[in-house]
Amino acid sequence: MKTSQVFDQTAWIFISIYLGSLILVGFLGYRARQENTLKDFYLAGSGFGLVVIFLTLYATQYSGNTLFGYSGKAYRMGYAWIMCIHFMTAIVACFLIYAPRLYARAKKYNYITPTDYLQHRFNSNWINILATLILVIVLSNYLLAQLMAMGRAMQGLSSSDPDIAYRQGVILLTLIMVVYGTLGGIRAVAWTDVIQGVVLMIGFSLLLFMLYKHFGPLSVATNIIQQSADAAKVTVPDANRLREWLSYIIIIGLGSTLYPQAIQRIYAARSEKILRQGLALMAFAPLFTSLIAVVTGIYAIAYIPGLEGNESDQVLGIILSMVQQNSILGYWLVVILYAAILAAMMSTADSALLSISSMLSKDIYGRFVDSNASEAKLTFLGKLFSWCLILFLVWLAIYLSDKASLIKLLDRKFDILIQLVPAFMLSIHWRGMQAMPTFIGIVFGVFLSLCLAYGGFDFVHNGKVYGFHPGLIGLLFNLAIVVMGSNLINKNRPLLV
Amino acid sequence: MKRHLTIVGVYFVLIIIGIPWYWDKNSTLLIAGLPAWFVVAIVVSICTSIFTAYLLLRFPWNTDTGSDED
Repeated sequence: MKTSQVFDQTAWIFISIYLGSLILVGFLGYRARQENTLKDFYLAGSGFGLVVIFLTLYATQYSGNTLFGYSGKAYRMGYAWIMCIHFMTAIVACFLIYAPRLYARAKKYNYITPTDYLQHRFNSNWINILATLILVIVLSNYLLAQLMAMGRAMQGLSSSDPDIAYRQGVILLTLIMVVYGTLGGIRAVAWTDVIQGVVLMIGFSLLLFMLYKHFGPLSVATNIIQQSADAAKVTVPDANRLREWLSYIIIIGLGSTLYPQAIQRIYAARSEKILRQGLALMAFAPLFTSLIAVVTGIYAIAYIPGLEGNESDQVLGIILSMVQQNSILGYWLVVILYAAILAAMMSTADSALLSISSMLSKDIYGRFVDSNASEAKLTFLGKLFSWCLILFLVWLAIYLSDKASLIKLLDRKFDILIQLVPAFMLSIHWRGMQAMPTFIGIVFGVFLSLCLAYGGFDFVHNGKVYGFHPGLIGLLFNLAIVVMGSNLINKNRPLLV
Repeated sequence: MKRHLTIVGVYFVLIIIGIPWYWDKNSTLLIAGLPAWFVVAIVVSICTSIFTAYLLLRFPWNTDTGSDED
């Protein structure tokens, strides 16, 4: 089955202009800076308006994984993967739990990084270090996945040797991303997100149009699947899958709101009204993004059956090559769609990189190494950390390119990230929540989640406990420790005084 | 407080309806040529988006942090 798109010189010029425009935007972001401070570099000073906030939230939230991963997952799982539009909508709903209060505090106390809130709320270096460590590890994992996806995308585009194309893709696209990120900070990242978000939305709309034009209505595809060996993919999911459905809604809904880049976009909104409007638009994004990826997977079940393993992750590429061969219009639609795919990966990766650099420079260096460091020095160090980290991750992305089992080991990010839910979401509503049980709760929650995931227990199947992610079990114990511990301390406090 | 409970209740009901636990495993009911449970899941998702957007646009956030002072 052919999976690569052979583009002519004109198409490559179009993609090159698109990539070059990102560096230009980075330069414009550099020119637009008002001062050499952390707030200006990481939060764009006075903040963003509605269009930028919505598109930067959108482009950051929907990554290359949404296009490639979700269509592949729908291909393997069948119609039940419609659960992804539920959990992507749950992310916006979960913001309602803590974004209003966090936004207010961020504006009042000038927070830059997510852990600024924790430091201010708990005044505990232990919680600060632990939370920063968790966020940096999770985000580095996320960033690594995007870099590898960039390499794979280039493999699909290039007619040269796949290994060379993968390396070229990882190095070239990362270099462009890190250059504009270093030049313009959050301004460059958010402004390029605007371009990337628009390209992404156009790309998804075109994909739906192309699928319909090429394959006909989805009802016909459904009928074909029902008559095929894949008929089970249309039926009502079994009990284990339904529990998994609920588990995904909770873990991704809560976990994704805790991504540092998401939190920093809450800080970066110009007003609460703009943030509310931006999130309201985001509530509809799964319908014109994730849903289209699921529909792509369903068409693939009907028209390109029989793909197994890693090959099933290539369904989007295969479908695009089928559409491309159809007409000149189809060819150019695929070119634009590939630009959208690159946009999705780069916009997610650049935001993650910027967030990591802010945490390393402000939360680690600025707090524990040199508390008297100037803002200019911390900003410079943030850029330096970006380059060092990205060099390491590029090497790792190339090293891991053919080691799928190693990558699976890294894929527990939500199980770990969700252990920070009490620290952020409960503490902002409950003044009596104490630092010590919060710290112990996080440590125990992470430990239990990883033990369940990798302990080889009989009751754990495909990394889940009766369909539920181990992180949710960890979170239950984490919450119990926080609530009981805090109540105990609060009860004994008058005696201590 | 009452409003918060109502909001949680609405989301709970949406989840209950959206996850197709109550359908017969062998159901072959189709809506517009698609499995009915699949269509219901999409409709519930649309309702959830509308409800979430309504909450965000209808109720301004209280940005007073007075009681949060540590």
